[in-house]
Amino acid sequence: MDSVGDDAPLVGRTATLDAIRTDLLDTGPGGTAAVFVTGESGVGKSRLLRETADALRAGGTAVLTGTCLDIGDASPLHPVLQALRRRGSAVTEVDGDAGALLERVSRELRAVAGERHLLLVLDDLQWADRSTRQLLLYLLAGLGDVRLSVLAAVRAESLQGTHPLRRVLAELRRLRWVRVVDLAPLDRAGTQELVTAIAGDGVEAEDADRVFKRSGGNPFVAEELARDLRDGRVELSDTLREIFLSRVDELDPQAHAVVHAVAAGVEPVEHPVLARVLTLPEDRLIEGIRNAVAHRFVVGAPDGYRLRHRLVAEVLEHQVLPAEQAVLHRRYAEALEATGSADHTRLAHHWQQAGEPQRALPSVVAAAHAAERLYGFAEAHRYWSLALDLSCDASTDRTELLAHAAESAHQCGEHQRALTRLEELAARPDGPGECEIHLRRARYLAAAGRSVTAEIEYEKALAVPACTPGEKATAAAYLAELLLHLGRYADAGARAREALRLAEADGTTADLVRASAALGFSEAFREDPDAGLAVIRHAVEIAERSGHPDDLGCAYLHLAELLTGPLNSLEEGVLVARRGAQKLAEMGVGRSYQTRLLAIAANGLFRVGQWAEAERVIDTAMRHRPSGADAVELLLARCRLWVGFGDIEAADRDLDAVATVLAGGGARHVLPMLTLRAGLAMWQGRHAEARAAVQRGLTETRSDDLVLMGILAWHGLRAEAEAHAAGGTVDPSAVRRLTTVVDRMTRGVANAAPPVRAVIDGYQDLCAAELSRIEDRHDPHPWARAAAVWDKRQQPYPAAYARLRMAEASFARKGKRSAAITALREAYATAQAMGAKPFAAEIAAVAARARVTLGEPDAVAATPAPDAGDPLGVLTGREREVLAKVAEGLTNKEIGQQLFISERTVGVHVGHIFDKLQVRTRVQASRVYLGAV
Amino acid sequence: MTVSVWGPVHQDMTALLTGQPDDVPAVVDQLTKLQDILERVPPLLCSNPLADFNKLYLHITTTVLDRLYEGRFADPAFLSRLDVEFAARYFEALRHWSQGSAACPRVWSVLFHRVGGPDCRPLPSAAAGVNAHINFDLPFALVTTFDYFGSDPVDDGDQHADYLQINEIFADAIPGLRRGYLEKWQLLIDTINGDLDDWWQGETIEYARNVAWRNGQRLWSVRHDLPATAKERERLDSNAAALGRLLLSPLGALLQ
Repeated sequence: MDSVGDDAPLVGRTATLDAIRTDLLDTGPGGTAAVFVTGESGVGKSRLLRETADALRAGGTAVLTGTCLDIGDASPLHPVLQALRRRGSAVTEVDGDAGALLERVSRELRAVAGERHLLLVLDDLQWADRSTRQLLLYLLAGLGDVRLSVLAAVRAESLQGTHPLRRVLAELRRLRWVRVVDLAPLDRAGTQELVTAIAGDGVEAEDADRVFKRSGGNPFVAEELARDLRDGRVELSDTLREIFLSRVDELDPQAHAVVHAVAAGVEPVEHPVLARVLTLPEDRLIEGIRNAVAHRFVVGAPDGYRLRHRLVAEVLEHQVLPAEQAVLHRRYAEALEATGSADHTRLAHHWQQAGEPQRALPSVVAAAHAAERLYGFAEAHRYWSLALDLSCDASTDRTELLAHAAESAHQCGEHQRALTRLEELAARPDGPGECEIHLRRARYLAAAGRSVTAEIEYEKALAVPACTPGEKATAAAYLAELLLHLGRYADAGARAREALRLAEADGTTADLVRASAALGFSEAFREDPDAGLAVIRHAVEIAERSGHPDDLGCAYLHLAELLTGPLNSLEEGVLVARRGAQKLAEMGVGRSYQTRLLAIAANGLFRVGQWAEAERVIDTAMRHRPSGADAVELLLARCRLWVGFGDIEAADRDLDAVATVLAGGGARHVLPMLTLRAGLAMWQGRHAEARAAVQRGLTETRSDDLVLMGILAWHGLRAEAEAHAAGGTVDPSAVRRLTTVVDRMTRGVANAAPPVRAVIDGYQDLCAAELSRIEDRHDPHPWARAAAVWDKRQQPYPAAYARLRMAEASFARKGKRSAAITALREAYATAQAMGAKPFAAEIAAVAARARVTLGEPDAVAATPAPDAGDPLGVLTGREREVLAKVAEGLTNKEIGQQLFISERTVGVHVGHIFDKLQVRTRVQASRVYLGAV
Repeated sequence: MTVSVWGPVHQDMTALLTGQPDDVPAVVDQLTKLQDILERVPPLLCSNPLADFNKLYLHITTTVLDRLYEGRFADPAFLSRLDVEFAARYFEALRHWSQGSAACPRVWSVLFHRVGGPDCRPLPSAAAGVNAHINFDLPFALVTTFDYFGSDPVDDGDQHADYLQINEIFADAIPGLRRGYLEKWQLLIDTINGDLDDWWQGETIEYARNVAWRNGQRLWSVRHDLPATAKERERLDSNAAALGRLLLSPLGALLQ
């Protein structure tokens, strides 16, 4: 909505304007801020945007302005790309993935901003496409590394019903640095001031009052009514529609034509295009434009003409005969073609409105391809659907259109739509074969969560005689993966074997990798981890030979997940994940895989207590500028570290960023986020907050997700115990619910696979121990048991926590002091080594109460910082330890025993050490080591 | 500003409605506080028709929360989100009403209008609220919930099964109400047109909720098309408002 060149003063908005300006500059910890202005049409949102932009620009802020289009089928990222284009930068297509595109746009924004803070102004955000909304969240979460504020206007009328922005705003407004300003109409005094400003001081009070009543304080209407008052016109109506219609009638014919033409166009309408649309002689055209501007209908800018207010277009639309409208659109389309415009979206819009679908088709198809190149699958899907509407049944390209439409629907998550399209496709005589249809249907069904029907479809594909062994291998591999998700490990194993057998002949590497992964996991879950591991290792070898980034990334991902997940071979899992990421990085491909592998490595490092190393890994991964789910995964991993380190501000920042990205949807990550919130709140002594986070989490946990339930239940009971210890009250109903959850876990764990059972046992022990703490039993035994279980799982953090509580219980009971003191010191050493400050502080507090000295803290603060001249600087802390043992002449087996890791893991470390030091034997490696220390 | 629709509890109400609960425990909490406030709205106090509905709604939501803790739903994340989205619409209607905004759905205004009297029987009041909430709010809540999860409304899935489980909760809640409130209800049901009969009796809630599911699916298919969504919204609002008016009319009072 534009009203450039307004001469009416801005009335009654000074306070709002000041507040918005302050809010925009008051950025959150992520360096971003946002203000969303909502309000009815004509209430002055655009004006407010413009005034704020001017003020900030004058204060040295870089400003970019874009407007969303109401043509329904705008191209992806339209308003932002438009804003950038006005500044002379262009983003066309980008190789890679949707994340690469977001990064590319961020880079342009950084370039525009330079050293300055950036303000991105977006008008009519209610018409923003899905891609634009996602870009906004990406930027606001700080992922684009652009210090920016977003100022956007949203029409309140549009937020009714199911508008996607409605929920996004509801989520965002919880964040401290996001404001949603609801712009109310002017009050009586404000309206009066406006009327006087326009019509002069001579206005009768009752006239001004009438304007207020008739306009309802809407400044846009009030302004028009005040003008009538000034010009002595008797206005008979107070609806906008009639006000404007009477104004239009006063225009001369040329100006009339100009206004109608601009109303039918996609703004901004460039002068050459307008000249072609209106077949007026040049001088009369200019005269018409002048007149339309003078009558305040149209505004001109260097890039073209716009209506002063989009409301006018809506009013005029009903005033024009459909035939006239069609002619205007046809002229637009012809004009655009004649001027050689490459704006397929706009062209498609006009041809369609002109009632010439056949001519729209090529543009629509071009627009669909263009949207896919910008990873706007939702937009692409709309174009493919439109193309289908435009093409007739007999048309030869209909089959191809259907195939595209189905796939794009699948990619943007419109599963039901995808299936419907697929049925149409299957019915085409020239459609794809039976086997492909089954496979695609099964994939779409699985994506929609309809596992049972998906399974049947895969089986059908396997039963069709026409299917090649290759196709069958694909079907069996996918089916194995599906069964694995359903927890049917034996069936999954059988299907995976079938897939591997079929793929031997002419299967693709992708099928081999998929099937191997499924087999590996199913074996691991069925108590033959070594067999499982062997299969996936083989898949990694195959993928390495094929060298295809997808295969390679996928295989490494599966191997790392298997090791860090069910096998609990954390250290080796971390090594594998890092190696995979390194390989892909060397090839310069698979950004998303690299990010995910590094996230696995970081989480593994966190669990084994190597927090400083985990932080380094996350730093590296963040440099890939991840987006969407990958970004959330990493932010959560980093936040876990901040919570551990006790860096509350940083933890808050990352949680805010996660919440921002999740405002666009993404339920999978809500539970980990809540767990972290609870953990953070507990260190801050905010037990009610922790309790609330846990309760919310528990209501949203599936009964089959025992691990998440375990973590949450433990956090919940710990919050109650801490509240109790701090002298607060325990919430009995919360404890009752939590014990219900623990019971559910006990029931569920009986049927769980052994690796899952092992994790659950650890949490069950912690839960039981916290309960004893709530009940003031001061019993060290449950804590000792928990410590032993977590030691066995090689996870020092929970183990040390259990030791602290064990010591605390012993002191309270006046039990054996020596065991308690040892436990406390061990816990302290672990806490110091990890850098877990709040935890260490708590241990110190307990020690002080029990009058125990904890020993020299500095002696434990291990690994010295590597300096540049150190030949061992390239090694990780763990690798140095292994190398020291190698230099002592120990075998891998002996090293493994001493460092409590498997012989295999030692082997992998040694391999890495050789690579990094560029040596080939243990003797050479020892020599480097001895030379350095 | 004219006299507030909430009278002396205006401030409490405004303060309460600034909260936007984002999980089921918070929804229950907000409904509990709302119940307390509603029972203090003069002149009807405890017999205020909105309080009658709110009480029923609070009861139902508490049951949902208990079942969530018990792990009775297949997809609790979905159900929780639906519950939150669903409640958000009720709170938003109240907010609009408090502010005198034209954006308040008509189907809700019909009931809100009666807060100041005349007195109305509890059952038709609760029924009018249930009508607004199910026949109007629910389809929209379904769409936003599915949109959030990036999945879509498919019959016979986990989510549909969970959704239908809510039928049981409503059905369990309502016989209790009936025992407490009415005798002539049954008789009247028979004399009213089939639509309402279906709506209330036997399959009552189930029928309405299935309609809501279908309406949700219909809205889903046009959710990217703003004019079509607005049209659909208008249709649902005026249909449901008509039914609401009937329930609150003297005819509805006869129900008791």
